[in-house]
Amino acid sequence: MATRGSAEQFKQSFREEAREVLVDLEAALLELNENRADEELVGRVFRALHTIKGSGAMFGFEDLAAFTHNLETAFDEVRNGRLEIGSELIDLTLTALDHIRDLLEEREGAAEASARAEILGKVRKLAGIAESAPAAGKVASVQPGPGGVPIRQWAIHFAPGPDLLLNGANPLLLLAELRQLGGLSVRASMEMVPPLGELDPERCYVSWEMVLASPADRDAVHDVFIFVEDSCELAIDLAAAAEGETGATDEAGSRRLEEPRATGGGRRAYDKPDTASSLRVPAAKLDQFVDLVGELVTVQARLAELAARRDDPDVAAVSEEIERLTSALRETSMNIRMLPIRATFEKFRRLVHDLARDLVKDVELTMEGADTELDKTVIEQLGDPLMHLIRNSMDHGIEPRKLRLARGKRATAKIHLSARHSGASVLIAVSDDGGGIDAEAVRRRAVDKGLVAADARLTETQTFALIFQPGFSTAQQITDVSGRGVGMDVVRQRVEALRGTIDVASQPELGTSVTLRLPLTLAIIDGLLVSVGEACFVLPLASTLECIELSSEDIEQANGKHVANVRGEIVPYIRLREHFGVAGPRPELEQIMVVESGQGRFGFAVDQVLGNCQTVIKSLGRVYRHVQAVSGATILGDGRVALILDPERLVQDAIQAAGHGPRGHPGAASSRAPGGARAGVH
Amino acid sequence: MAIARDASESANVVVLEGTVDISSAAELKTALLEALDSGREVRIAVDKASYLDLTAVQLLWAAEQQARRTGVAFRISGQIPDLVSTALAEAGFPSFPASVNAG
Repeated sequence: MATRGSAEQFKQSFREEAREVLVDLEAALLELNENRADEELVGRVFRALHTIKGSGAMFGFEDLAAFTHNLETAFDEVRNGRLEIGSELIDLTLTALDHIRDLLEEREGAAEASARAEILGKVRKLAGIAESAPAAGKVASVQPGPGGVPIRQWAIHFAPGPDLLLNGANPLLLLAELRQLGGLSVRASMEMVPPLGELDPERCYVSWEMVLASPADRDAVHDVFIFVEDSCELAIDLAAAAEGETGATDEAGSRRLEEPRATGGGRRAYDKPDTASSLRVPAAKLDQFVDLVGELVTVQARLAELAARRDDPDVAAVSEEIERLTSALRETSMNIRMLPIRATFEKFRRLVHDLARDLVKDVELTMEGADTELDKTVIEQLGDPLMHLIRNSMDHGIEPRKLRLARGKRATAKIHLSARHSGASVLIAVSDDGGGIDAEAVRRRAVDKGLVAADARLTETQTFALIFQPGFSTAQQITDVSGRGVGMDVVRQRVEALRGTIDVASQPELGTSVTLRLPLTLAIIDGLLVSVGEACFVLPLASTLECIELSSEDIEQANGKHVANVRGEIVPYIRLREHFGVAGPRPELEQIMVVESGQGRFGFAVDQVLGNCQTVIKSLGRVYRHVQAVSGATILGDGRVALILDPERLVQDAIQAAGHGPRGHPGAASSRAPGGARAGVH
Repeated sequence: MAIARDASESANVVVLEGTVDISSAAELKTALLEALDSGREVRIAVDKASYLDLTAVQLLWAAEQQARRTGVAFRISGQIPDLVSTALAEAGFPSFPASVNAG
């Protein structure tokens, strides 16, 4: 039945919005832990719980609503000054939040139900809530709010969208929710109900005019409607304020949350042209859209190839127009996939809070650049590496409190998460003000494990790169947090899978900073198509600076060394023909593509530069997963396959081949570090 | 939920039982239209109903309006269960339908 499908869709929409409310709730709880006297934060926590409870009941999540009810009551007690915020309440609520997430996803089990009952028991005991306290539908007595906030009269106009009932929502439960905020008088308006013969029995035609007497502020009233506001007409006006609040009346009264109410017989807001600034789209649909754009880009390349061969100006004109549109479509679709990294960063507040408690360390988490946008696939893959880096910092980087004080440091340590764009890459850094990496300990451990020879001379970069080797750990003890030598290896694997690199900077007793350099997107890039013999390669355009010619004379002048003189600057280059073992003679005049890498300027010598191309990145599959210098492949207009090169990796491979890097792992050189040492790594 | 029609000589009775919600809205609309088409008095028996949702309220209200326009007698018969009348009052329908008290 269509109704059931719509209801499930609406439930899913509730889930998505509720997840966002839960993220905010978690952040507010953690902030509250730091600033326990902040009434604004208490209000934020209360409203989030209230919203989850009320809307949960409305969309059929009765267990979730019932479970959240007691938590909401506890924070109501805090608001009213009858309960003090303490670690126990915050930790209980954080644990409860995990259960709320399970209930939201309808992951249910007997153990969870029993654990929830235990949490509720503790919350009730803490807040002095009677077991029989009603879960919903209680009409709140209208009393002044916390701190003697006066009662206000809110005039509310609520006209649900026509499909609200069809979507499984029950607007009558919203009225019950409002009633919990204070005294409510309600008048239903039937003006829009059509004659029986024309009435669609599943549509909603009723609207309501209400007056709410409550100490609640506008946000609290608005939150009752948060899950339906996109599909309804809603106006919340301050009808009357208590004495001493007249100044606020004009300002508040003039603020309308939605369109002005419709006059009799007029169209409602949802019938008017849609001016919504955003909409929710399932991620799978977005992936499908980008895949199709990718296919279009490939077909467009074939068309361009065909047009070039036909020598027909009309076909050429159409081909150019299609190329222009495809390029614009590609850019737009890529932008749609970009998301701010904030949500990923925010979830680590909880991790830091929990670990700090377990490790008995005071740690403050700070963030910078949380609005930096990345491709959603990159963001999805970033969670694990960042988690391992933070765990490692918390466990090994940050010293015990006593040692910090002895070193003249603040007792409260700091972990700083930052993100910023750098060309076609984004830099994500996890920094701490801990003890730094003990380079000598890393080296000794590497020798013990046979990773490097006892007499090997390692640069600092190479030494720090060792911590990302599988099973590598300098930790004296395996703890619950780290020490098994697994985490940093996971970081390396994930970052490599994303075509990224890792930089490590560390100063003894000052701290460590691990920076992940990741590509902005993993789907389609602008590339520069080059040829070497019969083979074609693509270099990412964003990393390419310029193209210069390399003649036989230039080669002679360099005495056989792979260096080119670029306007007085000596630039080393890698000849792709040699690197990939391409057969055939070298042309008289080669081309050098100069790129900016993390190691400075480097060149790649190729036979010919064929031109720009929009490049749909295709995975090479598992067989090629150990090939480091190639980040994928693309299909050219004539059907041939071109490998997409990773300039950063090629450069690092070349440096490693020329130097004395750690044995056995090609990715090890991807880590470099300008600074000193840290006490231990897992 | 059950919606039944009982056409006696003097009246068409639409009997509502249990939960009457969106899942039975189309059925209720058909029953009301047929009852009104007969031209005889229409009675809505609600004493066995345990819950009326907004779709049912809208349909009953529209049926009553049509009955008025066409001169057909329309009334609610039987005692509205407390739960239903409380819910209706809380939802802003204090004397719904108007004919409930005329009945």
